[in-house]
Amino acid sequence: MGKNLIDYIMNNSTYQLEFKIFFRNKAVWSGILILLISGFAGLYFGKTFIEKQEAVIGKANALQQEKTQHNIDLHSEDLGLLLFYNKFSIANMPSPWAAFANGQRDINPYLMSVSILGLEGQMYDTDLNNPTTLLLGNMDLAFVIIFLFPLVIIAFSYNIVSAEQESGIWGLVKSQSGLPLSIILRKFSIRLITVFATLLILMAAAVVYLQLAVDRHFMMVLMVVSFYLLFWFALSFWVVSRNKSSSFNAVSLIACWVVLNIIGPAVLNVWLTKKYPIPEAMETVIHQREGNHEKWDKEKHVTMDKFFEHYPQFKKYPFPSELTFSWYWYYAMQQMGDDEAAESAGHMMKKLEERQGFSSISALLFPGIQTQLGLNELAGSDLQSHLNFLKALKAYHEKLRLSFYPVIFTNGTAKDIDWKKIKAEHHVNAVESGKVVLNLFVVAIFSLLLAMAGFYNFRKKLHTF
Amino acid sequence: MNPILIIAARTWKNAFQNRATLALTLILGLALCLATYIGWQNFSAQNAQRLKYKEIVREQWLAKPDKHPHRMAHYGYLAFRNKHELSFFDFGIESFAGVSIFLEAHKQNTVNFSEAGFSNGMLRFGEMSVAMVLQLLVPLLIFFMGYSSISAERETGTLKILLCQGISWRQLMAGKTLGIIALSFSLFIPVILLTIVLWAALSNWQVSADATLRLLLLILGYAMYFVICSGIAVLVSAFHQTSKAALTTLLVLWVFFMIVMPRITQAVGASVYPAPSKIEFGAAIESDLQKQGDSHNPDDPHYAKFKADILKKYKVDDVKKLPFNYGGTVMAEGERISAEIYNRHQKELIGTFGKQNSFAVAASYFNPFLAIKNLSMALTAADFKTYTDFQDQAEAYRYELAQHMNQLQIDHISNEKPGEKDKPLSISRSNWASQPDFNYQFKTIGWVIDQQLMTILSLLCWFILVITGIAVSSKWVKTL
Repeated sequence: MGKNLIDYIMNNSTYQLEFKIFFRNKAVWSGILILLISGFAGLYFGKTFIEKQEAVIGKANALQQEKTQHNIDLHSEDLGLLLFYNKFSIANMPSPWAAFANGQRDINPYLMSVSILGLEGQMYDTDLNNPTTLLLGNMDLAFVIIFLFPLVIIAFSYNIVSAEQESGIWGLVKSQSGLPLSIILRKFSIRLITVFATLLILMAAAVVYLQLAVDRHFMMVLMVVSFYLLFWFALSFWVVSRNKSSSFNAVSLIACWVVLNIIGPAVLNVWLTKKYPIPEAMETVIHQREGNHEKWDKEKHVTMDKFFEHYPQFKKYPFPSELTFSWYWYYAMQQMGDDEAAESAGHMMKKLEERQGFSSISALLFPGIQTQLGLNELAGSDLQSHLNFLKALKAYHEKLRLSFYPVIFTNGTAKDIDWKKIKAEHHVNAVESGKVVLNLFVVAIFSLLLAMAGFYNFRKKLHTF
Repeated sequence: MNPILIIAARTWKNAFQNRATLALTLILGLALCLATYIGWQNFSAQNAQRLKYKEIVREQWLAKPDKHPHRMAHYGYLAFRNKHELSFFDFGIESFAGVSIFLEAHKQNTVNFSEAGFSNGMLRFGEMSVAMVLQLLVPLLIFFMGYSSISAERETGTLKILLCQGISWRQLMAGKTLGIIALSFSLFIPVILLTIVLWAALSNWQVSADATLRLLLLILGYAMYFVICSGIAVLVSAFHQTSKAALTTLLVLWVFFMIVMPRITQAVGASVYPAPSKIEFGAAIESDLQKQGDSHNPDDPHYAKFKADILKKYKVDDVKKLPFNYGGTVMAEGERISAEIYNRHQKELIGTFGKQNSFAVAASYFNPFLAIKNLSMALTAADFKTYTDFQDQAEAYRYELAQHMNQLQIDHISNEKPGEKDKPLSISRSNWASQPDFNYQFKTIGWVIDQQLMTILSLLCWFILVITGIAVSSKWVKTL
């Protein structure tokens, strides 16, 4: 069928004429130009943003080695003290697509440096951020696609029928062609081809500029974006089919855009905040701080019993209970902070999952949110990838602890550790695309329903125009 | 009767005869009521939560048993950023700024747990607040109502008739603008009254003079903003041959001013003035610390001299013979130096952020939306400057707490170190109450105006520009 369509387009002179008329309109060129310029700006800002993060990650290892050496020089005899100060870094590596959709990578820290003290007291530390920049958001290509493309689609198609009716040539057009619906479809297809050609130019630019591979992942992104744009075409088609004036169409389409991309999400956000408050976050901090510090005022065995319960393998290292202070006790107390905060931290994570569930379900009604979340997911820049990063951080921290604890507990010194082996780590996110398929399906259904309603309207009304 | 008023009244009446306008106005009115309610719910729930934990933190602090003051300095304090009572009106950066900060000796922590950190990205689309409706949606309504104000008269040919009947261009423009302004005010005034009553009622009629002043200025600012938007709508309509073209221009302006331009200006600001990353920031502080004196380094020259000076001053040959706790003195010195260095770097960082934001302030001379957005955030204490003020106050509190504990150590802890198996030294728990609770004090309206002079000026410029535009536009517009 595709080949037939292309043949049809190539051989049909009316089609070429229609294209000519369409492009004679200066507004069309400005629409395309706006998309291209803002698209390139989005690519530039998106890439600059990720490049800055990559540069920082690149420095992390050298900086860690340098600081570690400094700490070894100062505290070579006191390993417990050395590790009290020394920090170890792990980075959440941006995927190549992160420059395409920056997602939450500006809000969530991408590089965490932690000591082997209690992790719960460190893992929620944020980056140094300008909250105003966070509020206004990043300018990436995903933004251009989600917010600006629909507006251009609206601008291209809101007056497809009404303009000719208002200028009085509709009757003439209709009388010269047997099938008014085919005229309308022709007009729509020209706009569709133009918008998708613009999209493909930008996607091609993204492939070259961001060095993306044209693979299954690329096709997924392209599908998500295409379905989103098709939805807007279907919506425009339906509004146009209702046979109202140009101004009415423009106003109602803009109103749809405002409701779907601004008001709807804005209401959902406040609803979400109210429905799923997260007091567990503050509870976690309080439990961590209390769980750790109150142990100073308790008998040592209170801490040590629980510690050995958690790590039976360390029982074999004799605990110097006669000493007022030992690093052995100190690190066991730190562990208690984590252990006692574990429950509320678990609740917090569960709340976050509930929030994610709520937003993915409610997003089904809002193609804009859906597309944004889908792109963030495919770009590995969503909340889930940050939560995965936190899990990786936890594993990294545990690995460090387990390797250092025996040396600390046997009063070892800095010489007993092979520091060269300890490097800043990189966490690479495995990208899942489970939700994306469902999203595609839902957007497709919406588009189909709107298109069908449009066809129905046109069939019913065309003869009465 | 003045012809301006007749035209204004006619415009007003005509608009409400249009059912779509009426419906849109009603929907927006409802949205505003809903936003007021949601905003208040959000404010009171969040503040109640923060207050609850604030009280727990205080209780736990006071309940600590006898111990060494330095243990207390490390136990530290948790401070929560409370919301201003007017933040129900405008959420500003609230959701993107952290809520709690852990304050401890020797270490400056970040303000953690912002709402944005708990969001999977939906928050990026915005939040429903009164300010959002007034800033984004009311202008859209004004544009919908005003796009055809002059151009429709031109299209139907009534423009010529009007001008022939002795109505001047200036009167016509003024009348139309006044009509549109009246339309927007007929939505704005009842909602604002409702907001004020609701706010006062929900605050149990206990409103501060400062908050009232802030709210009054806010109302004035928004009123000016609507006048500006109405003026723009009528001017655009006057300069276009057809209503359709006028509508297109207005919609493009709306999208560009409210959706595209804020992001671009901020993105440009952030790339022209890049801020250091956290590890670079930390490394710079550490390197300065090592230059000036590192209390953790046993061979540090600064502390060698510090020790020698003290020994000389008290004419003793060993720190153990000093009449006060020497360890506490060293820590106090260390805290002083490290806080000073940190504050210097922090000030520089905030300065960089300020420069990034200055692009949006400068852009408000080109974009009235940015002007009202910045002003509204500042007046509702949900802006960047209030946030950094919180950080400053929290750091000042942290420093006082650390130094207070150091002083307790200096005064009450023996200079004689206990043996490694002896009971640790401690002081009475009655001392803990002498450390006051952390209470953030909001700045007063005078400070806000002082900080926002450029923004206020930009709004005034726009106001004057639009009024002048209405008055002198007749020179350029064509009747046909």
